[in-house]
Amino acid sequence: MRRIIINTLNKLGFTDVVEASNGREGLDRLAANPVDLIITDWNMPEMTGIEFIRSLRGNEKLPQVPVLMITSNAAKDDIVEALRAGVTNYVVKPFTSDTMREKIESVLAG
Amino acid sequence: MPAIGQEQAVAFLIDSTCEVFETMILRSLTQGVPIEGDALRPRSNVVATVSFAGAESGIVAFYSTKDAACEIAGALLGMNPAAVYGDMPDAIGEVTNMIAGALRTKMTDAGSPCAMSIPTVTVGSDFYTKYVSDVRRVLCPFKMGEQEVFVELIRQKR
Repeated sequence: MRRIIINTLNKLGFTDVVEASNGREGLDRLAANPVDLIITDWNMPEMTGIEFIRSLRGNEKLPQVPVLMITSNAAKDDIVEALRAGVTNYVVKPFTSDTMREKIESVLAG
Repeated sequence: MPAIGQEQAVAFLIDSTCEVFETMILRSLTQGVPIEGDALRPRSNVVATVSFAGAESGIVAFYSTKDAACEIAGALLGMNPAAVYGDMPDAIGEVTNMIAGALRTKMTDAGSPCAMSIPTVTVGSDFYTKYVSDVRRVLCPFKMGEQEVFVELIRQKR
């Protein structure tokens, strides 16, 4: 999914992308690389998306940037859990490039 | 809670498959006639499965040839199909994950919640898959341009 999302971002003109293979690596990279937006999946190795977001939101030393969660979990309870954990918005798989663009613009607009 | 009827479950699977192909792979699928039972096995070199369990249990399986799988992976990753071979299994696993995820959402909304496994992808030739439980199988064929792909719903009998 990471490669798929990067391909979509590149097609939308977002070429300056920092990748991480799991949540722990993502937290480490965030400490070293300032970003405007984080995109995370729900199911990931080592640390789930929810665990990643809780770790991020619970660490004041990390920049509190907007987070977009990509998920196949469209059930209401799952979405509520994600928003409570600190997700800014979410994109349900499968998604079109237009949907991704709209969600990114919405999140970045604050 | 009564299980979702077979016809409805198959319709959910077909809708989920078409949705994934149209939005993520940018390919329209031409739907064939679903085939009940396990007598007909599709000619395939790539098989991906995602299991689900909860109100009911079963498996969603995706079948394609290597050429079709590479075309799908190329479309997903923005690469030439001839160059994707190493990335193809992950891409097909993600396609199957998305189909099963969309099916899960539809089943949950219809009153049959379930959780899903991570995908398993098998690439090779001269193999078949067998399910040890008493199951009901429906194979849904699709045409993707000149290629054929298949999605199967395997539901454990109650």
